[in-house]
Amino acid sequence: MSYPLPRYRWWLAVGLLITLAAAAPAQTPLHQRIDELIAAGTPDFERLAAPLADDAEFLRRVYLDLTGTIPPAAEARAFLNDPSPDKRRQLIDRLLASPEHARHMAHVFDVMLMERRTGRHVPPAAWHEYLRAAFAENKPWDELVREILSADGEDAQRRPAAKFYLDRDGEPHLLTRDISRLFLGMNLTCSQCHDSPIVEDYKQDLYYGIFAFLNRSFLFTPKGKPAVLAEKADGEATFQSVFDPAKVTKTAAPRLPGGPLVKEPMFEKGQEYEVAPGKDVKPVPKFSRRAQLAAQLTAPENVQFRRNIANRLWALMMGRGLIHPLDQDHSANPPSHPELLNVLADEIGAMKFNLRAFLRELALSKTYQRASVPPPGVKEVAPETFAVARLKPLSPEQLALAMMQATGLTDVERKALGDKLSEAALYAKLSGNLGLFVNLFGNRPGQPADFEATMDQALFVANGKLLRSWLAPNAAGNLTGRLGQIQEADAVAEELYLSVLTRLPTEEERREVADYLKERTQDRAAALQELAWALLASAEFRFNH
Amino acid sequence: MKPFYACNSPEHHLSRRQFLAGMATGALGIMGGGFSSFIHSAVAGELKSSEKRVLLIWLHGGVSQLETWDPKPGTSTGGPFQAIPTTVPGVHISELLPHCAKQMHRLALIRSINTAENDHAKGAYLMHTGRKQMPNMEWPHLGAVMAKLLGSPDNPLPGYIHITPRGQGGFNKQDAAFLGPRYCSVSLADGKPPENLLRPEPLTESADRQRNDLRQRLNNRFLQGRRTAETEAYTQSYDQAAQIMERRAVFDISKEPPKLAERYGSHDFGRHCLLARRLLENGVTFVKVTHSNYDTHYENFEFHIEQLGEFDQTFATLLDDLDQRGLLQSTLVIVMSEFGRTPKINRNYGRDHWGTAWSIALAGCGIQGGAVVGKTNADGTAVTDRMVGAGHLFHTYFRALGLNPKKNHYVNQQPIPMADPAASAIEEILA
Repeated sequence: MSYPLPRYRWWLAVGLLITLAAAAPAQTPLHQRIDELIAAGTPDFERLAAPLADDAEFLRRVYLDLTGTIPPAAEARAFLNDPSPDKRRQLIDRLLASPEHARHMAHVFDVMLMERRTGRHVPPAAWHEYLRAAFAENKPWDELVREILSADGEDAQRRPAAKFYLDRDGEPHLLTRDISRLFLGMNLTCSQCHDSPIVEDYKQDLYYGIFAFLNRSFLFTPKGKPAVLAEKADGEATFQSVFDPAKVTKTAAPRLPGGPLVKEPMFEKGQEYEVAPGKDVKPVPKFSRRAQLAAQLTAPENVQFRRNIANRLWALMMGRGLIHPLDQDHSANPPSHPELLNVLADEIGAMKFNLRAFLRELALSKTYQRASVPPPGVKEVAPETFAVARLKPLSPEQLALAMMQATGLTDVERKALGDKLSEAALYAKLSGNLGLFVNLFGNRPGQPADFEATMDQALFVANGKLLRSWLAPNAAGNLTGRLGQIQEADAVAEELYLSVLTRLPTEEERREVADYLKERTQDRAAALQELAWALLASAEFRFNH
Repeated sequence: MKPFYACNSPEHHLSRRQFLAGMATGALGIMGGGFSSFIHSAVAGELKSSEKRVLLIWLHGGVSQLETWDPKPGTSTGGPFQAIPTTVPGVHISELLPHCAKQMHRLALIRSINTAENDHAKGAYLMHTGRKQMPNMEWPHLGAVMAKLLGSPDNPLPGYIHITPRGQGGFNKQDAAFLGPRYCSVSLADGKPPENLLRPEPLTESADRQRNDLRQRLNNRFLQGRRTAETEAYTQSYDQAAQIMERRAVFDISKEPPKLAERYGSHDFGRHCLLARRLLENGVTFVKVTHSNYDTHYENFEFHIEQLGEFDQTFATLLDDLDQRGLLQSTLVIVMSEFGRTPKINRNYGRDHWGTAWSIALAGCGIQGGAVVGKTNADGTAVTDRMVGAGHLFHTYFRALGLNPKKNHYVNQQPIPMADPAASAIEEILA
């Protein structure tokens, strides 16, 4: 069986490409090449491109993107006052090395890989800790994926990694769909029943090639023990097209899109198992198809695997993929900057999937550091030019953590921990508040994390008890507690704006605060809460800009 | 990270831009001062008179057709109750529904439903969506569909409200599936208003206005050159919140005359139906009231005496009240469950789950009062005439409301039939 290969930059062409990429001397750092290729992608680029963001906008953005929250007012003040010309680079390096970065990546990849699915086989806390530890040691992406797709849940130590399989109940169609979307950037869902009528590249046999790695696997529950993923030695991936009037049945062998056919050893009848199936016995086949999947997927020859992660990390930082949507990589939906995506994919491979090093290059680029307002005279800039920074809505976790930092709850907890302070200890104090935000602001289980703004969210911010309690002044020095101690209106405005919006107020805003307080000398404490609330409820706070 | 669930399965989210474009054409005025300016406009008045609504009384657990709309007295399956005549000559219903019998000229019965579904959750899904549940696929509830098709964009109240007997209130985003959370149901637990609806005590109205003015000034400055569909949706969610707060009295039945409240009944179901009428009157497109619990595997007859005792008078009062206010002719009323109950009486004097031959009742908008469609055999064990399923019912609701069930939803440019194309409307019941 042969494939129409050329559609994907696959096996055949790949060896050559890798050789070329490796041979190209990396004199120009990646972040500069990014900027060159982005500029080259749009004819009128210089006119359209926003200047670099000011220090305050950069600070807030990079904090949210790399650590999932905003900086305390004192840190914001220190950064803004730092005269060092190299301070952005220093900050990027410091944030990437922080434990908060690993925490944030654990949140991001949990949502990416599990899509807010609930599940009963692996507790969310164990999975979260597994991811956090992996990002803390900067585990390469290919290694992480191999662990996740090789885990069957048997070994208690490695069980959390099996969540991807187990909490999809080992369902082979669901797994085929999600593995193709999340690890290959190809949404083959439509190809389950027929060649996709919408995407010409997405043929039904691509789908069943992946399915064939998985359809012998099933959830097995040993007596008195938690469920694990087991596998049979038989079961073919057969399929018909619902459009085929003749109803011809085809059989797919395990094979990734465009990849090599997996060679299967033949066993005599009755000799297929290490452990034969039986009542309450977990079968172990001599040859596991599923075991081949992780290696095939993460093989250096698999360009699709690199393209996918490069594009996803790009989208994480820039607010939109070079391929958009992220799971529609096919010839009819080319990347906005095809050459750049090739470079990024090859570079992340050459970096041996060192995600931190890759994110560092993205963060250092001018493309990342541009202002979010177009230059004067330019009205609208198409998002796929990346000439102006895109607004990114905060994830539910970012929103919760940023609100806790802004209102000073985080500072109070930090102080209370004293010499017991660590990232883990502080997170343990704060994380109890995340669930409510995830419920209100998060996507439904198994659904994409699209931005939705709904009335119930606004009512929660406007009238909810939780935010109200965070805004009530506190002697331990939360935001409104601190503001209450400051007499001068101008100083109030500065502390308020730095704490909540990570910037200094403009002249107009200073006057606004002063006027607000002047009218409310009778109930100044209430007025301070209202001011803080208005900033928290603003679009400037809701979006990473 | 937007998966493309398509082929025949719907993508789950319209793009924000399409979504907003849709709202803009609905006179929402997304760029201007919210929609408060539309509330009292002439346009709103016109919409009001042509507005149609739906009331769904959901008899949770599965009401017995034999103790309600299709009695079989004197047979081995019929149970102890008699059938009584109604205001429609020749039509008899169970003696447990004396007040409904006096409303029969307004009601239409379908006695030939076969949904072949005996599972609570799957039956409920089928009856709410008109489609069988399938993996990789979510269909919107009838309530969400009607909130979208019939709702007036100038009404800040949710288009689909579900009054539940108890439990947790809130927004049920899954109900709207690919139509988007704007059309999802909002549960009012025990009829209580949505969470966070009321301004917290110490905050005065003027202080709330002041802080919102400041928020809007901040937004206007920040959004100069940064406005996107997403930022618009965000700022607009605050307008919607403010408007529903403004109309909080809609949720307060203490504003109803005590005499009327008494006629509805002092029990939970009575209060909930009174609230339902208040909501419908105020322009909520789809109101569902759940009456629980009809899952009578034990002591079916005792339970039906008790439950229907509440249902019967309250429901009849509700029909009268809607009629007196001129709302009935523009409100489609549906009384249904996830399934019926077995004709066979089990050894616990109970009846079990039964999707094979059961009944529902309709009234109001587009429905021919007094019509009876379909038949079951003498002991109620099979449909003998005009067998219909949930798809037929869905088509019928659309037609009764003057909508075309053969139209499509469009999800990522893909047509998704609003009602199951394999089914059709029950013409005989339409006015």
